[in-house]
Amino acid sequence: MEFQKATPEERRRYYREEWDIKQIPRFIRHSLYQREFGFDHHGRGPNDRYRTFRNEDHLRKFMRYRTPFEAYTSVAFYQKPNRREGWLKSELVFDVDAKDLPIRSCDCGSVCEVCLDQAKNIVSDLKDTLQGDLGLKEIHMIYSGRGYHLRVQDEEVLGTDSEVRSQIVKYLVGAEVPRSEYSNQGMTYNLEHFTVPFGYPQVFTQRVKQSILYLNEDILMEEVNKKLIKDVIKNRHLLVDDQWGPFRNAIGPIRYKRLVKALAFVNLGLVDAKVSIDLKRILRLPSSLHSMVSMKCTEIKNLETFDPLRDAVPRFVNERRD
Amino acid sequence: MVGVSFINPLSMEGRERVRQLGSLDSLIQDNPELIELVTRSKSQDISEDQDIPRNYLEMALKRLEWYVKKRNDRDFNYRKFAFLFQEDIEKYDIISFYLLSQAIGVRFGPNSRESRLMVESQGSLIQNRLEELNSRERTEIVLKALQELLSQETVKWTFFENLLSSRRIQLSDLVLDQGEVIMDREDFRNRFGSRLQHRDPDKMYQLLIGQELQELILIRMVMQQTENYMAEVHEKARLMVEPNPLLLELADKVTEILIQPTTSYGGSGGGGGYSYTGPLNREAFPPCVKNALEGIKSGGRNDAIVLFITPFVSYARLCPDIFKQNVTVQVSDKDPELQVVHNEVLPLIYEAAERCVPPLFEDQPQEKININAKLGFGMHSNLKLENEGETKWYTPMSCEKIKLHLPHLCRPDEDCKKIGNPLSYYNRKNWILSKERTESEDNVGKEGYNEEKEKEDQANGWIEVKKDDA
Repeated sequence: MEFQKATPEERRRYYREEWDIKQIPRFIRHSLYQREFGFDHHGRGPNDRYRTFRNEDHLRKFMRYRTPFEAYTSVAFYQKPNRREGWLKSELVFDVDAKDLPIRSCDCGSVCEVCLDQAKNIVSDLKDTLQGDLGLKEIHMIYSGRGYHLRVQDEEVLGTDSEVRSQIVKYLVGAEVPRSEYSNQGMTYNLEHFTVPFGYPQVFTQRVKQSILYLNEDILMEEVNKKLIKDVIKNRHLLVDDQWGPFRNAIGPIRYKRLVKALAFVNLGLVDAKVSIDLKRILRLPSSLHSMVSMKCTEIKNLETFDPLRDAVPRFVNERRD
Repeated sequence: MVGVSFINPLSMEGRERVRQLGSLDSLIQDNPELIELVTRSKSQDISEDQDIPRNYLEMALKRLEWYVKKRNDRDFNYRKFAFLFQEDIEKYDIISFYLLSQAIGVRFGPNSRESRLMVESQGSLIQNRLEELNSRERTEIVLKALQELLSQETVKWTFFENLLSSRRIQLSDLVLDQGEVIMDREDFRNRFGSRLQHRDPDKMYQLLIGQELQELILIRMVMQQTENYMAEVHEKARLMVEPNPLLLELADKVTEILIQPTTSYGGSGGGGGYSYTGPLNREAFPPCVKNALEGIKSGGRNDAIVLFITPFVSYARLCPDIFKQNVTVQVSDKDPELQVVHNEVLPLIYEAAERCVPPLFEDQPQEKININAKLGFGMHSNLKLENEGETKWYTPMSCEKIKLHLPHLCRPDEDCKKIGNPLSYYNRKNWILSKERTESEDNVGKEGYNEEKEKEDQANGWIEVKKDDA
């Protein structure tokens, strides 16, 4: 499928014939009056900011009449959203963009079915950790047009500051190598991350495993040379069955240490950390059109069965083919 | 058995002790019992009168002096402060803790370097006190103190929000399951026992959680409470007409202790003790700063110029050793007429802003005010001394923060491996460059100086810093 820019006429058709305000997730519709909206009318960035809507009807009319190139809404809730004042809380969000994945399973240069699928797997893993480790429950998944957004609505995290959010990001993506030395009663013991099947070491192990399985010879990583990458690729079949010990032995302990350190840094790129730590970010409005690629920003009910190329394609794109 | 308040002065027991305190006058009167306790403490090495705290006020200062000297002074003598680790000093220790926290809270506020030092000293004191105890006593007191602090059976990770926010603990330090922080042995075994193959769950519990994690949480929680307490005091003092003069007097003495010269560690270690003050040396800028000065071509212009370049350039020029200082510093302390700021610092920041695409001030002129705010001069369009202090002079971002906020700027070189903050890079690099200059001057005297050859050597990376120097 080609990801073409939508024409003004196509945008008009989309917002007047296909779009419905009820496609905006309830968690946004219920807090419209506390959110800032931003719009890009001409494809030059969201410079129409500080917009507010008192109710769904006002927003519906605006969208139908203006048919914006892109539409965004704040993750923050304000007392005075039209001035971005009186910050109350912010959704906790994670942005996984298929085109910015640090290790890609394709070489499309932009976005294709393969890297979108890879992004979907990452989102699934992140969601598991948010639920299993952090105990968060109200997690909404959105297909953004070129990747995915995870939007957490659990009240207990909405008031957290940027620092806490940056710690959550690092935990989720496995951005730090877990310590391997532990002491007890004067003795020091060595426990590699893959020997601890729970908590952060397990998260790290899973993320590193995925990165290794997607690794290709063109990747540039700090202090990892071509030879090491070749050896990793040669031996990575061991990780399919989680044979970490033999894998580490095949690589050699010193080189293994170097590898996981480099991968921890790479993992930081799994999500756009800036989006997660910015409390006043505006994020693409679910249900709106991503006009640059002619895809619908869509709330996902079931990630496993969701197929962006089937479920997020506007009608006018199918008609283009006809 | 040592009391909980010896470990946590903010515990119920500690607060009760303070409530029982009589007149404030007694705080500055010589206290024979205290003097006796200090002079008779185990393994003490006190030979001079000035080493003996004679009243609560002096005891408070000794608490802080211990930490400052321990941290900075090569000639630090632990035995001069042995009394701080004697349980029988508890009563005096608690009162002196409150005095010190209140004095710092009233005078310097919660975000000052003084309060940071107070918090760190409290953490270090607890750690050292726990180490003095035997294993059984240590386990018991940690459990007892934690029980009071946690006061619930299951603890969610969000309970530690403040600790995470202040980075006193890392989320990855905790063992998490379904949102709960696992601390209890039985709970650990029930949740993870079946997942552990060929390993004894009890031993794994000891290693992954055990005493170490419990102590970490305890210490960090008390540190956080200490900070919160100073913030509370500061807020109350703002509403009061006049704070107690005794506290102000103590605060003055705190400053005296913090600015005392010490024979510092690390004078020759890889530039650790070196800081260069003078006109900005662009050659010594780290790669991230050089990248930002070239102008930001994609997103993140505001963060790069306002949050990153402004603090870096201002501190590099005016106060490159800020991370070694114990007291709060303002721009005017270093540049009373603000001439350097106007002539050297702001032009460089504005130049970087101009190089952005599009130029930052073209569409966001308000960012000039934000730059002034980050220099500590409030939200005003001009830098005026009368506004100084309305906002905080932001210290430079750490490398870790840059990787998160501005990842496109972080292109580390060899020297980056040895530092955690761009300002430390700048100091270190200046040290290396000055060392190289000295060596080349020596070469001129001895065997003649071949500038061309040195340039070639540098380009080839043959002039290297010895590992020992790092």
